[in-house]
Amino acid sequence: MPSTLSRRDFLKISGAAVGALVIGEFLPPWVAQAARSNGLLDASDSGYIPSMCEMCVWRCGLLAKVDAGRVVKLEGNPDHPHSNGKLCPRGQSGLMNTYDPDRVLTPLIRVGKRGQGLFRKASWEEALDLVTQNMLDIKQKYGPEAMLFSSTHNLSQVQFENLLNAYGSPNYGTQRSLCFNAMIVSNLTTYGMEEPNRKYDDLKYIILTGRNLMEAISTSETSALSQAIDRGVKVVTLDPRFTKTAAKSAEWLPIRPGTDLAFHLALINVIITEGLYNRNTVLNQTSGFDQLAAAVTQYTPEWAAPITEIPADTIRRIAHEFAAAAPYALAHNGWRTSNFVNSFQTERAIAILNALAGNWGVAMFPASGEESGVLGAPPQPAYPRVSAQRLDGVPWKYPFVPLKIGVFQELREAALSGTPYQAHGWFIARQNPAMSLPDRGRTLEAFAKMDFITTVDIIMNDTSWFSDVVLPESSYLERYDPLNIVGNKAFLRQPVIEPQGEARSALWIYKELGTRLGLGDFFQYSDEEDYLKQQLAPLGVSLDQVRQKGYVDLPGEGPDFTEPIWNTPSTKIELFSTTLDKGGFAAVPQWEEPLAPAPGQFYLLTGKVAQSTQFASQNNQLLNKYSDEPRLWMNVATAKSLGLSENDLVEVASTAGKIHIKLEATQAIRPDCVYLTPGYGHLSKGLTVAYGLGASDSDLHLTFTDPISGGQALSQTFVTVSKI
Amino acid sequence: MTDIQHKTFLFDATRCIDCRACMVACSVENKIPMNKTRIWVAGVGLKGEFPALERASMVYHCMHCNEPDCLSACPVGAYSKRLDGPVIYDPKKCIGCRYCMNACPFGMPHFDYDKGLIDGAFIDKCSMCTQRIDVGLEPACMATCPTGALMFGERDELLKYAHDRLTAQPARYLNHVYGESENGGTSYLILSHVPFKELGLPELPSSPVKDISEAVMRLTLPSTLGVGAVLTGLAVGVHMVNQKKESGAKKADHSESSAQKTK
Amino acid sequence: MKLEIRIHPRFHLKPLVVILLALMGLAFIIAMVRYAGGIGAISNLSNAYPWGFWVSFDLYTGIAISSGAFIITAVVYIFELEQFRPLVRPTLLTGLLGYIMEVIALLVDLGHPERIWHYFIYQNFTSFLLVIGLYVMAYAAIMLVEFAPAIFERLKWDKLSAFIRRFMKPLVILGAVISTLHQGALGALLLIQPAKLYPLWWTPLLPVLFFISAVAIGLAMILFESSLSSRYFKRGLEVHLLGKLARAIRFVLGLYLVVKFGQLAYAGDLGYLFTSGLMSVLFWAEILIGVVTPLVLFSIKRIRKNPNGLLIGSIILLLGMIMNRFDVSWFAIQHPDPLTYMPMFMSAVHYFPSLPEVLVSVGIFSAGLLAFGLAVKYLPVFETNEDQHDIVS
Repeated sequence: MPSTLSRRDFLKISGAAVGALVIGEFLPPWVAQAARSNGLLDASDSGYIPSMCEMCVWRCGLLAKVDAGRVVKLEGNPDHPHSNGKLCPRGQSGLMNTYDPDRVLTPLIRVGKRGQGLFRKASWEEALDLVTQNMLDIKQKYGPEAMLFSSTHNLSQVQFENLLNAYGSPNYGTQRSLCFNAMIVSNLTTYGMEEPNRKYDDLKYIILTGRNLMEAISTSETSALSQAIDRGVKVVTLDPRFTKTAAKSAEWLPIRPGTDLAFHLALINVIITEGLYNRNTVLNQTSGFDQLAAAVTQYTPEWAAPITEIPADTIRRIAHEFAAAAPYALAHNGWRTSNFVNSFQTERAIAILNALAGNWGVAMFPASGEESGVLGAPPQPAYPRVSAQRLDGVPWKYPFVPLKIGVFQELREAALSGTPYQAHGWFIARQNPAMSLPDRGRTLEAFAKMDFITTVDIIMNDTSWFSDVVLPESSYLERYDPLNIVGNKAFLRQPVIEPQGEARSALWIYKELGTRLGLGDFFQYSDEEDYLKQQLAPLGVSLDQVRQKGYVDLPGEGPDFTEPIWNTPSTKIELFSTTLDKGGFAAVPQWEEPLAPAPGQFYLLTGKVAQSTQFASQNNQLLNKYSDEPRLWMNVATAKSLGLSENDLVEVASTAGKIHIKLEATQAIRPDCVYLTPGYGHLSKGLTVAYGLGASDSDLHLTFTDPISGGQALSQTFVTVSKI
Repeated sequence: MTDIQHKTFLFDATRCIDCRACMVACSVENKIPMNKTRIWVAGVGLKGEFPALERASMVYHCMHCNEPDCLSACPVGAYSKRLDGPVIYDPKKCIGCRYCMNACPFGMPHFDYDKGLIDGAFIDKCSMCTQRIDVGLEPACMATCPTGALMFGERDELLKYAHDRLTAQPARYLNHVYGESENGGTSYLILSHVPFKELGLPELPSSPVKDISEAVMRLTLPSTLGVGAVLTGLAVGVHMVNQKKESGAKKADHSESSAQKTK
Repeated sequence: MKLEIRIHPRFHLKPLVVILLALMGLAFIIAMVRYAGGIGAISNLSNAYPWGFWVSFDLYTGIAISSGAFIITAVVYIFELEQFRPLVRPTLLTGLLGYIMEVIALLVDLGHPERIWHYFIYQNFTSFLLVIGLYVMAYAAIMLVEFAPAIFERLKWDKLSAFIRRFMKPLVILGAVISTLHQGALGALLLIQPAKLYPLWWTPLLPVLFFISAVAIGLAMILFESSLSSRYFKRGLEVHLLGKLARAIRFVLGLYLVVKFGQLAYAGDLGYLFTSGLMSVLFWAEILIGVVTPLVLFSIKRIRKNPNGLLIGSIILLLGMIMNRFDVSWFAIQHPDPLTYMPMFMSAVHYFPSLPEVLVSVGIFSAGLLAFGLAVKYLPVFETNEDQHDIVS
C-alpha cells in the first residue's frame, strides 16, 4: 500500500535539495570543506583526493588533482591493486566525462514522442513523483513483476538490487549475459566459483583465446601480461584478427571463428593421450577424469586442423609446450572466447586445461568475494515474496545461470513477446541496452511496448533518448558510492568536486525513489555519508580517516591458498560436471559445430579498442581526439576481389538490419571475416560529439542464446558487404 | 659540476601497445586544445601480409636534444636548454618565423596555424612537464604508461638499463640505442624491434645537424672582411688604372694641341 | 627568329593598371583574413610543411631576382665600366622594389609580424635567418640610398643628390659585400637541414653555389631588364655591350657546373644523379635549363649578337634558376611518408599552395609592378645623356 508523503517529509527532501544549492553559494562548498578538513586540499581548494575510476569495470583507484574546485588531472593511485599508479587512456580522459558539455544536469521529462528527443527540465520532486506514480500504477494494475529493472553492474548495484527486491519484481537484467556468462558458468561448474584470480609472476606460458588485454585494457592485468612478455614468457593468441595483443604475442593463430573449442579439445586430447597432465592434481583434486579421457579420444589435432584451419603439427606442438611449462602455464579464460553458442563448451575446456596443468596456486587463485561479511550494512527488513516467474528464464529455462547475472537478452525478448506475461515498465540505470543488446531494432520495438521507461544516466545516451524520464546521476568524480572490496582493502569512491547542476548520486536517487514508493524501511540511511558510516561501523574507523587514504585495510586473513575448497557437488574440480549431467547437458566438454556463413557472407566480429569503453565513452572529446575512425575492417585481398577499395562507403547487411560505413582494407583480419568496433552509430542527438560517427553493430547482431550459460553469441551473425 | 643530473626518457617499442594513455594524459596535464597535440604516434603501423604480420609504432614528442638544432636556428633565441634536460621554448620572444620547424630533424615544433594576430600564433611542443618535474613528479605521459614502455630518469642510469636489456635479450631488440649519439645525443632514447626508420625516426649522424650551419656561420666575419678587402682592392686598382689611362690620354691631347699651337 | 613583342609604350594601359590594382586589393583582403584567422585560414601550410610557396617565391626567388642591383653597381662603380651606367637606376629600382616586396610578404608569412623588430633586440648569432633578416634591412637601406639621387633630382635637391654621389663607391662596396654574404646566406639557410634536403642539393658548399648562381642571375637580370627597357622605354644598351655580359655569364655558369659536380663527386653522391626518380628529374631539369642551355646559347656568337637571342637566353637561365630556388626550398625537402599517424590530423603530410596563398604573392608582385611603373613615370630612372658624363669621385 503506497504511503503518502507527509508534508514534513516533502519539505525535508525538497528543502534539503534547495537548501544545499543555496548554501553552496554563501559558504564554502561541502566537498571542498570536507576535503580541506582532511588535509587533502589547501586553502585555495587545491590538492589530491583519492577516489575510484568508473570508465570501465576495472575501477582503478585514482588520485584526482583538484585546483580551485576543478578537477585538472587524474593519476593512478599507487595503493590500488587495479591501477598500481597507472591509468589507461579512458581513465586519463575521465575529467572530460565529468565536464562533458552534453551532461544532463537536471531531471528531464519527455514532451514529444519517444525518440524525438524533446524533453523539458523538471525539478527532482516532479520527476521523482512522476516515476513513483507510474511505478505504483504498474504495480497496482499488473503486479510488481511487470516492472523491469536493469543496470550494468556497478558499485551502487547493491542498492539497485535493494530497490527492485523491495519493490517486489523478479525481473533483473545486467549486462553480464552479453559479456561473460559462458566463463562464469563454466567456472562454477568446474571449480565452484565464478572466476578465479590470476597471477602472472611465475608464469612461463600463456594461451589467450580472444581476451584482447592490450586493447580491452584492465590496467593491472594488462600491465602484468606486458611484464610477463618482457620477461620472456611465451604468449600464444588465438584470434581471427591481428589485434594489438596478437602483435605482442610470440605466436598468433588466426583461428576460424567459432572453432576455439576444437583447438582446446585437441590440446586436452594430446595432453591426456600422451600422459602429459599433472598426475598429482588429477588424482587428488579432480573427479571424472576417466569420462573426460574417453570423451576426448576423438578430438585429435588431425581432426581439429581442418575445422580450425590451424595445422595439426602446430596444435600438437602447443600442447607439448603448454604441458612442458606446466604448472607455470595458464590457459586464460577471458570473457567469452569466440562469442559463439559453443563458447560455453570452450570455457569448460579451458577450465579443464588449467586443471590438467595443475596450475592452481601458481597461476590461479581463489577470488575475493565482492560482499564480505566484514563490512556493515543498514538494517533490512525481509523482502516481499515474489511469486511471478522471471521473464529472462532464470532458473526455469536456464537452470545454471545465477540470479544476479541473468540472461538480459531474454528479458528484452519477453518484453517484446509478452510471454509468459507482458512487462509494462522499465527502470534502467547506468546502462545502454539500446546499443548493447543485439538487434537494436527489436530493442526499440520492446521500448515501444513499455508504458513507462525511466533512466538514470549522466548524459543523454541512446537509452535515455528513448525514455520518458531521465534522472541525472552525478558523475563518478562527483559522488559517493558504497565501498568496494579489492583484495584485503575496502576502497572508497568520494566526490572530488561539487556535483554540477542538480545531479545526484545513485544512492540518493534510489533512497528518494524507494521512500516515495513506500519502501523507506529498506533504505535506512539518511545520506551517502551515513550509508558509508554504517558500512564502516564494524571496522571501527571513521569516514574521515578513510577519506584521507581512499581505502581501509580489512581485518582477517586473505583467501587460503593452501587448502583449496571446491564448491562443487563432489567437492573436487569437476572434469565431469555432475550439475550439467543432472541438467541433461553434456557433462564433459563436447564438440558443437558452430554456425558458419554461407558463400558471399562474412563472420561479423566484434572487439574492443583501448580508446573507448563499450557504448558510453564515444562522446568524450579527449578520447575522440585519439581514436581511430570507426570503419569496417576487411581483408585487403577479399576487398580487392569484391572490387572494394579503402574508404569506400559500403552497405553491411544481416537478417536483422543494415548499416552504411566506410571500409578499411587491412591485412590484420582473416579473409572470411569483417570487424566493426562497437559503440558507434549513436541515435541520440544529445551526444553532440558522437552522433553521426560510424555505425552500430547492434543494428546487425542476431540474438542467439546459449541454453546452458545464457550467454549471447554476438559473433554468430553473418553479413553481406556491398558497395553503395 | 653541480649535482643537477640530466633527465631523459627511454621508450621501449616492444612494450608499447599503442593505447594512447600517454597522449590523453599529456593533453590534460598541459591543457592542449582538442585540435592540437604535443605527442603523437607514428610508424609503419601494420607490416606484412596476412598472416605474417607485425606491428611497429612509436610515441613521438620532443627529443630534448643535448645539442638542440631549434636552439641554434631560432633567430631570436626563443629556445634554451636547461641543465637538467628539458629544451624550453619562450613564446615571448617568438616571431613566428617557423625556422625551428625546419631545423628540427624530428619535426617536433608545432605551430598555431589557426590563431590570428590577437590570439597569437605560437610554437607548441613537449616541455618535459617542467611543472611536474620541478615538484618531484614524473612527466604525465610516462607516469601513466600501463606497460612501462615509457621510462624516465637519469641519462646514465637509463643508458645502462637500455644496454643491459640489449645484452640480456638480444633476440628481442635491434642492437642499438637510438638517441644515444644521434644528433649529438638526445634526451629521448629508443629501443626497437624493427628498423628505426620504420618507427619514423630519421637516420642521423652523431654530429648534430646544426654543426655545419654553425661552422659556416663562424666564417661570416672572415668572409666579410675578405670580400670587403678584395672589392676595395679591386675598386682602388681599377680606378688607379683608369686614372692612368685618362691622364695618359690627356697628356696625349695636351701635347697634340700644344703641338698644334706651336705649328 | 625575331620575337615581336609589341606593347603600348609609357604605361597608358588603363586595363593593366586596373588589373594590377585589383590583384593588390585582393591580396590585401586575404592578408586581413590571415591576420584575423591565422595563417592556416588562407594557406595550406602545415606542421609538415612550415615553409612553402611564400618562402620559395617571395624570399628565394624575389631576392635572387634582385641580385642585379649589386652586380650592376659593382660593374659601374667598382669596375668603372661606364657603358653600363644607364642600367644602374632601373636595376637598382628593381632590386629595391624586390626587397620591399619581400619585407611585405614577410609581414604576412611571419606568425608575429608586429614583432619584426625583435630582430634588433633578441639576436641569436648562430641563426642564418637572423643574419638574412639583418642583411635584408641593411641592403634595402643601402639600395634606397643608392637610388635616392633619382628622387632628389626630381625634387631638385641637388646638393643632397651630389652628396650621396660622392660616397657611391664605398656604398657600393658595402652593398656588394652585404649582397655577397646575403645571397650566400640564403643558401646557408638550408645547411641546417642535411637530413631533409635531398643529397643532390644539400652540401656545405651551398652558400658558395648560391653566390655563384646569384651572380649569374644578376647578370641575366641585367640582360633581361635592358631588353625590356629597349622595347618599352626605347632606352636600352647596345647589343654588343649586352653580348659582353652574356660572355661573362658563360664563365660564371661554367664555374657553377664545376663546383656543383665537383662537390657531388667529392661527397660520393654522383650515384644519386640518375637513380632518384622525381628528384633526378628535378635536378637535371634545373641544370639543363638554368645552366647548360644558357651556357650553350651564350657560347654562340650569333645569339650573343641578337637582342631576341639575349632575351630568350636570359629568360631560360632565370627560369632554370628559379626552379633551383624552388627545388632547394620546397620540392627537394623530404617528408616522412608513408607512415601512419595518430591523431589523424597529424597525417597532413602533403602540401600544395592554396589559391589565396598564391594570390597574396601575386598581389604583392602586382604592387611592385605598379610601383615600378609609377617610379619610371615620375622619376628620372632612365638617365639623360648629360648624366652619363657625370663625374664620380
